[in-house]
Amino acid sequence: MENLHNIYLEEAEDLFSKIEESLLLLEKAPDDSSLIAEVFRSMHTLKGSSSMYGSNKVADFVHNLETIYDRVRGREIDLSQSIIDATFKSLDHLKKIVQSPDIPDPIDAIYHEKLTAEILGLLDESEGTDKITTQTHSAKRKTFLISFTPDKDVFINGTNPILLIDELTELGTAQVFTYMEKSLSSKKYDPKKCYTSWDVLLVADEDENPIKDVFIFVEETSKISVDKVFDGNLLSLPEFTSQLPPVDLQGKRLTLASVKKFISKVPKEVLESKEEENELMEIDVTEEVTVEETQKSQGSEESITSIRVSSDKLDELMNQVSELVTTQAGLSMYSENNFDPVLNAIADNVEKLSRQLRDIAFEMTLIQISNLFRRFNRVTRDISNQLGKAVKFVTEGGETELDKKIIDSLADPLMHLIRNSLDHGIESREERIKNGKPEKGTIKLSSYYSGAKVYIQIEDDGRGIDAEKIREKAITNRLISKDDKLSEKEIFDLIFVPGFSLAKSVTDISGRGVGMDVVKKNILDIRGDISVESKIGKGTKITLGLPLTLSVIDGLLVKVQETSFIVPLVDIKKCFEIRRDELSNDFNELIKLEDDKIPYLDLRKEFLIKNEDAPEKASIILLENENNRIAVCVDSIVGEYQAVLKPVGKYYRNQEFVSGATILGDGSIALVLDAYKIIARKIVKQKKSA
Amino acid sequence: MKKNILIVDDSESIRELVGNSLENAGYFVLKGINGKDGVEVLRNFDDNVSLIITDLFMPEMDGIDLIKEVRKDSIYKFVPILMLTTESQAEKKLEGKKAGATGWMVKPFEEGKLLRIVKKVIG
Amino acid sequence: MRSIEEEQEHTEVVESYLSFKLDDEFFAVDVKKVIEILEVPGITSIPLSPDYMAGIINLRGKVLPLIDTKVKFGLDPIEFSVDTCIIVIEIEVEGETLQIGTLVDSVLEVLDVPNSNIQPSPSIEAKYRLDFIRGMIRRDDDFIMLLNLDEVFSIQDVMYMQEANENMSSAELTEK
Repeated sequence: MENLHNIYLEEAEDLFSKIEESLLLLEKAPDDSSLIAEVFRSMHTLKGSSSMYGSNKVADFVHNLETIYDRVRGREIDLSQSIIDATFKSLDHLKKIVQSPDIPDPIDAIYHEKLTAEILGLLDESEGTDKITTQTHSAKRKTFLISFTPDKDVFINGTNPILLIDELTELGTAQVFTYMEKSLSSKKYDPKKCYTSWDVLLVADEDENPIKDVFIFVEETSKISVDKVFDGNLLSLPEFTSQLPPVDLQGKRLTLASVKKFISKVPKEVLESKEEENELMEIDVTEEVTVEETQKSQGSEESITSIRVSSDKLDELMNQVSELVTTQAGLSMYSENNFDPVLNAIADNVEKLSRQLRDIAFEMTLIQISNLFRRFNRVTRDISNQLGKAVKFVTEGGETELDKKIIDSLADPLMHLIRNSLDHGIESREERIKNGKPEKGTIKLSSYYSGAKVYIQIEDDGRGIDAEKIREKAITNRLISKDDKLSEKEIFDLIFVPGFSLAKSVTDISGRGVGMDVVKKNILDIRGDISVESKIGKGTKITLGLPLTLSVIDGLLVKVQETSFIVPLVDIKKCFEIRRDELSNDFNELIKLEDDKIPYLDLRKEFLIKNEDAPEKASIILLENENNRIAVCVDSIVGEYQAVLKPVGKYYRNQEFVSGATILGDGSIALVLDAYKIIARKIVKQKKSA
Repeated sequence: MKKNILIVDDSESIRELVGNSLENAGYFVLKGINGKDGVEVLRNFDDNVSLIITDLFMPEMDGIDLIKEVRKDSIYKFVPILMLTTESQAEKKLEGKKAGATGWMVKPFEEGKLLRIVKKVIG
Repeated sequence: MRSIEEEQEHTEVVESYLSFKLDDEFFAVDVKKVIEILEVPGITSIPLSPDYMAGIINLRGKVLPLIDTKVKFGLDPIEFSVDTCIIVIEIEVEGETLQIGTLVDSVLEVLDVPNSNIQPSPSIEAKYRLDFIRGMIRRDDDFIMLLNLDEVFSIQDVMYMQEANENMSSAELTEK
């Protein structure tokens, strides 16, 4: 049950974000009928499941909202801003109360009432211009006589008449009289036929229609009559019930006349008192008769042919597949070294299969980034309102797919960047008008693939970052000296240095302690990089470059002494072969490659390995990252290798160079080098020696 | 042998809730997430489905179209179909009936009622 | 199997310990913490890691960090011989269960020791950090030191050392 309830909550969460997303689009295009239909359907589903899970307050609340959207859908009213606003408020409220549907918090309860009133108000408004007739009927108790004689062949089309009687009795209090056909001999009895008929005295608040509805499936073939016999509850009058015949299968059927006769025998005062009781009980119940048109699916509707799998299971699958890939690499290696055509063929096949399996498993862990973008939609709207800024939030490339783990770790940094744009980037309405910019600022969040990477950009058309101001501040903070000549890019990179904050005042929005340095750290942690471009008065663009996945890495397998290392391919620009003695022990540690002097890092030296057993020839790998180029010297290059990343464990988590390990085909371990950190280390060293 | 029941609803929570109740009562439950999916599931199970319970309002293919689609096929002519409705939607019910539905249940319903009705329909 | 009553009657709990040797000293760890004992396979050392971090090995597809227990105890780094073993143990670190491999000179035997035979560690003449030792077991003329594994291999130690390193390097940086 607990589990089921979680499914309900998860589903509600999904529906909320679906509705939010549609609403945000509707704000821009309020006439989009497919969007309105989408919102309506989501609300409908939410109402249904909420009622099933016992959250009646939630269900009732959603019901009113649903009614509004039903009318919007039927073009009876327009989708006004006030409806959208009220819906947003309601969604926030619903998010809270689905968790505790009894609304134990009195503040929430009061708010609940208030919101309900607001929505009912909107409903009332819509009724003013309403074409639909809302039936007002009173909850008056009435007594009906229903006679039902089903067709003998009623069973054939799957109908069970008892079900109908059950349905009927659920409308109120009922007394049921069952009859069997009299002249029924066992010889003629056909079990496929129905020989039973019923009379029911039903006390209900309903009109005749819902009662007749019960029989709509059989009305053509069966004899049915529904008559109101009294405006009140006859079954509560012993004076009446005592006259009713005993339940007898072969008894005489009740008729309108016979019931009327029973009524007439009840003393008048008793009857009147019953009718009065009813007057007191009269409550106005507004009920809409919703006329639902079967809307043909318009193609624009989302097609869902997916199943939900817990992410734990996916992780486990990925792990197992990784093991398989590793084992397979071992097999391939063994088969290469042992010439056996049969084994070779099998090994080739296993390799092919495991690669396909890995690709499929890997794809399964990818999710669309729109899941993440959707969240910011809403937040941007709220914050810009709070700041009194007019902001248009645009997203692009939401269909780009990324590893779930990466998406999870992107939420915080992206949030921070967007808040920064909202808070510091986009100017106030007045300022924008003054500067001849469109009154509404734009923040664009986009995502696209390029090579083996996914790029995410946050772009605003705000005031931009003043490079000179950063420089000044960096000098005051003694991050750089007055004489340092920095490129514009280098200056912008200063904002990622710990403790460097540009905002003059700490605002409610973004000044909450998390700085750009943390953003950068978060991005680096998922093997990504971050860069800034900005023009004063024009806007700022921040670009994140991310790997597609965290679990597999395309790398170059290299050796330093006996140890194998993997260098991520994305960071490699080129490879060269040199003679080790070309690395003169010159103080600057620069090497000439393609007419360029490039700082190099000798891994033997860095890792404190003696040079004695070094081969004469060495390999140089040119790493490039942002605008930095560093040459790394290793003993030899083995070849390209697709490495399944394994953590080296907590004990090594602060290890500078190594971001993980992978197990090679022969069972030995290769360390995965973190190119970014190698470059950073070299730059630090250079600065120190400069 | 266990009887197969197909539940078609776009709401996962309702599928699970109804499915669980039915499974606990000893039925084998098949699930469809919309009309189209439901029809597909049904086809894969040939004539072994004893009862179809379907929501009416679903994306891709709604409940009414599902019923029509199912009834088109001679194998499923007599499979009982119950519609799930949220409130008494007379028009919709009528439409469902015309399409060939057997009956309906109004949400919310208790587990007891569900099982009672199912038992009555398919024993 | 002894019945529960008997056990209560005796109020004597006997537990098993795995004993091993570092240089000429005897140590023991709770058998419940020991997963397995391995011969030394190919070890991949991680450059620039602290001395007592002996590298990583491939344990059936998993990466297992190794610790040179001797360095941890202030002795000389381990020298590999035919007797050198890796005891794979399970420890609690920051609420997580981790497996690590500890390098020892040789593994001796499993001892059943009644709790009453475990003596508190002597506070005077403490050769090793007191919080590392849970108690002493007397055996013939020797003492076996019973290790408090979670303390010995606590990651806190690692972190402190690394933080110290980092502070140093960032100090170097700002100095400039």
